Amino acid sequence: MWQLDSQTLITIITILGATIGIVIGCIVPAIMEGIAVQKALDGIARQPDAANDLRTTLLISMALLESTAIYVLLVILVLLFANPILDRFF
Amino acid sequence: MAVLSPQVVFTLFGLQITDTIVSTWVMMLIIIIVAIIIKRFKPDLGEMIIESINSIISTVMAEDEDVTKYLPILGTLGIFLLVANIFGIVPRMVSPTANINTTIALSIIIFFAVHVYGIKEKGLWGYLKDFANPIFILPLEIVSQFSRTLSLAVRLFGNIFSTDLIVAIVFVLIPFIAPLPLAALGILTGVLQAYIFLVLASLYIASAVEVQEVEQERRELKQTIKESSR
Repeated sequence: MWQLDSQTLITIITILGATIGIVIGCIVPAIMEGIAVQKALDGIARQPDAANDLRTTLLISMALLESTAIYVLLVILVLLFANPILDRFF
Repeated sequence: MAVLSPQVVFTLFGLQITDTIVSTWVMMLIIIIVAIIIKRFKPDLGEMIIESINSIISTVMAEDEDVTKYLPILGTLGIFLLVANIFGIVPRMVSPTANINTTIALSIIIFFAVHVYGIKEKGLWGYLKDFANPIFILPLEIVSQFSRTLSLAVRLFGNIFSTDLIVAIVFVLIPFIAPLPLAALGILTGVLQAYIFLVLASLYIASAVEVQEVEQERRELKQTIKESSR
């Protein structure tokens, strides 16, 4: 068995957690945005007159959905580049 | 941490001038010169730009609202963000919105503009009364005021910064042609995010101003009912 010091261990755990977090945090908003686009396209195909209203609403709601993924990205950037635990204890 | 914080270019009277500030100054100079040229030689183009910003704002405002009232703040914001988001493609410059301080400043401006327009429209007491109408909605309103300011700042920063970071990472790996499609994607994202920031800001201002009209309609309706029952 290797003898890892605790700084290496914390770094490994951080990288693993960041990878898993960004994977899940990208998959779920992507699926949900896909559902939103699908419904909006259904609406446009059914009623081409309402395309302008639908487009504005779709863009706003896409931005609101995408900000969830951006929050995940920010948390992971902080974990990787400005990790509070690594700075405090070592 | 060196990735997240901007680089200090020079020091002026003890203040650290970062590359974000230098880029913003260059950008301001370019915008002002282009605006003067458009005003002097091509007034039609300026009219067209103002009309297009007006049409963007009026998609979310009420039907009979006079959108030119909000043009000074929202139009300036739209033009600034449109140039700032795609300014990273200019050599030796960075996007000013890829720094979280810029986006937080912009969203705090929007936070105060919403309240100023709301108070100007309805008066102080009427605006405060809309916050607690009915009373149990008051904590939700207060939380939503702060959370949407935060999300406005973080969304813009995250989008612009992440595309810049991806371009930089791909540039380190394959410096030849590979970063170009990603840079093009960054331009697309920047234009879209500027549009979204503008639409959301006008939506928040509209939501602060609009409630009064419903209230006024209700009052007028009550008045007519009272008069007709007499």
